[in-house]
Amino acid sequence: MSAFAVLAQQPVIPDFGTGSKCETENHTFCAGWVADHWSDTLQPALLQHIKLAVIAVAIGFVLAFAAALVAYRYRRADQPIGLLSDFLYTIPSLALFQLLVPLTGLTVTTVEVALVSYTLLILYRNILEGLKGVPADVREAARGMGLSRLQSLVRVELPLAVPSIMAGVRIATVSTISIATIAAFVIPEGLGRPIYIGITQDIFKTEIIAAGGLAILLALAADALLVMLGRALTPWRNA
Amino acid sequence: MIRVLADTFSWGTFPDAIRFIIDHPGLLWHKSVQHLELSGAAIGIALLLALPLGIVLGHLGRGSFVAISVSNLGRALPSLVLIAFALLVSQHFFVNNMLALVVLGVPPILTNAYFGIEGVDRNIVEAARGMGMSGRDILWRIEFPLALPLIIAGIRIAAVFIIATATIAAIAGGGGLGDIIVNQATYRLAGVVGASLVVSLIAFGVAFLLTLTRKLLTRSYVSAD
Amino acid sequence: MVRKHARRAVKAAFALALAIPIVLGGTANAQTTATPTITVGTKNFTEAFVLGQLYKQALEAKGFKVAYKENIGSSELIDTALTSGKINFYPEYTGVLALNIAGVKPAPKTAAATYAAAKAFEEKRGYTMLRQTPFFDADSFTVLTSTARKYGLKTISDLKKVPNLSYGGYPECDKRITCLLGLKQIYGLKNIKFVQLGTIPVTKLIDSGKVTGGDIFTTEPALANPKYTALIDNKHIFGFQNVAPIVSKKIVAAYGAKFTNAVNAVSAKLTNAAMIAMNKAVAVDKKTPAAVAGAFLKANGLA
Repeated sequence: MSAFAVLAQQPVIPDFGTGSKCETENHTFCAGWVADHWSDTLQPALLQHIKLAVIAVAIGFVLAFAAALVAYRYRRADQPIGLLSDFLYTIPSLALFQLLVPLTGLTVTTVEVALVSYTLLILYRNILEGLKGVPADVREAARGMGLSRLQSLVRVELPLAVPSIMAGVRIATVSTISIATIAAFVIPEGLGRPIYIGITQDIFKTEIIAAGGLAILLALAADALLVMLGRALTPWRNA
Repeated sequence: MIRVLADTFSWGTFPDAIRFIIDHPGLLWHKSVQHLELSGAAIGIALLLALPLGIVLGHLGRGSFVAISVSNLGRALPSLVLIAFALLVSQHFFVNNMLALVVLGVPPILTNAYFGIEGVDRNIVEAARGMGMSGRDILWRIEFPLALPLIIAGIRIAAVFIIATATIAAIAGGGGLGDIIVNQATYRLAGVVGASLVVSLIAFGVAFLLTLTRKLLTRSYVSAD
Repeated sequence: MVRKHARRAVKAAFALALAIPIVLGGTANAQTTATPTITVGTKNFTEAFVLGQLYKQALEAKGFKVAYKENIGSSELIDTALTSGKINFYPEYTGVLALNIAGVKPAPKTAAATYAAAKAFEEKRGYTMLRQTPFFDADSFTVLTSTARKYGLKTISDLKKVPNLSYGGYPECDKRITCLLGLKQIYGLKNIKFVQLGTIPVTKLIDSGKVTGGDIFTTEPALANPKYTALIDNKHIFGFQNVAPIVSKKIVAAYGAKFTNAVNAVSAKLTNAAMIAMNKAVAVDKKTPAAVAGAFLKANGLA
């Protein structure tokens, strides 16, 4: 069939099928829509969201841990590091995403840099406070037993700081899951995207409730998991 | 390295953003005022609801479970989700965004007020009771001043969070600087970055003012914190 | 001892923090091997998703391998994606390209002239434009059909007869000659009032009588409803906004006539009625763009 012949015809417009009454009239919750679109919309968004959060907390933890160790050893470093984290934390999340866009584009990198910045303050503070919270006499006892500084750190001080560190990881994870919904303004990933589409497409209630509900459930589930992890890591406490 | 980071966009957007700010003072002023109106109203209502409740509960030493749960729940509620849910409740644009912002602002204020008051050294409280001070006097003359740093820290967290979320509220008709930041098609990247700079400055300003307030209010005594 | 280990820990953390973005950035970069992969990009709204799926699936049906980058953003952002090599194919509106990106002055007076200006601009940069679609997605002055009947309105010029004229338009419309300023100056509707559109749908404003007419895009699902009539833009202030795919010259050279014929065959079938129907299927009936595009292509023997 030559291109010319194709051009000469009017198109056939097939019947695309109407949406269910629930969908076209925008009832509060259409279970049918959720079932139909779980695998093409909701599940991918959920998995992307988990991935974004995990990477952010992991990198944030590594950076915050290193910074806390430095500040633990050199007390003077606490002020500048704390100030920097606080500064980043005060920038409104959407603004921080957009400020990074000229530098790192509309990419996952932009989102991750911003998410990591928000975890830094919480994790840094909690790790540092956890280490500082080790009683002086415990440290002295460890030293008295002949442990070197490093051995004391690894075998005594860090384990005692675990509750505070885990509290920090818990808060950082839940916050990151929350803020990651805003990533949808920059990249089409995460649970924020179905919510954003739901709002801009004539406020489609089902999509908003489904994706929003998933985001809240994810945050609560992560919180619960981390509580259990914290308890498992500190068997000597009845936390 | 720079190539990897900036292969699509460039540092040049920042001077463009400054240019946008200089070229559109009226627009940015109007949006900033709108933004502060929405945020301010939300912070005010959140304070009215959460502060007395947190202080009273902390003073009585009751409801720590509530305080902790509210705090956890508040953190688990993504701001975008709240804005979206609020839209489902009401389509009157000031009302629904206020609702969302107040819900987000209450947890930090409540929790910090509670733990601030409750965490005052019991010995001091006991000593005061021994001296014959009434419960109300203890609250206002001892517990409240000592808890002030933590209370103001909570207000600061809530304020910054509300200002940040008010930015997103633009997609639900909330107005403010978010109107520019979410509308890249109209205002271009320079406009979006410019408005982002402005809203960041506002957040810093408010945070700074609150920290300053705390310092001024507590300079005459050493706090328990 | 701790100093050395703390320093090592910091160095390791730094290295990790640098390595991850580089790896992420590196794997995201477009291929620069001998035969470039066709990478289709789309803007960030319903019609763009439908168009993207139409071209993608039509090409795949003819045996081409297609990479797909959906939801890149507005014109400014997707143009940057094109020039930086992230994509090498995207459907653009001729008017947007000619006026907003190329900045052609004076504004072209016909659809053909707009297309020619846009194509000339792209060809200077190493890209070309394939054939344009019959459909155009431009702004409009849409009124209730009852209003049109009452005042005998067919074109925007006819609005002179209407008292208390008001128009619901998008932000910045009141500053544009391609919008409110054009209505005032070119059509002479000096007393027209501007109502800025926000989150309340323009259809609600028109229905309630809050505005005489509003900006409903010419392929929006609402226009499938006989309740609304889009007035003819006889003086063409809203410009011409047919769609034509921008493709890099390298792709055309690499894949030849089989590629361009496949794309043009799709474009030829995209009339206003077709686009309105497809947009409605996605926006109102909640079908996915992929499914809708697939059904259309199949019904027209293109997939």
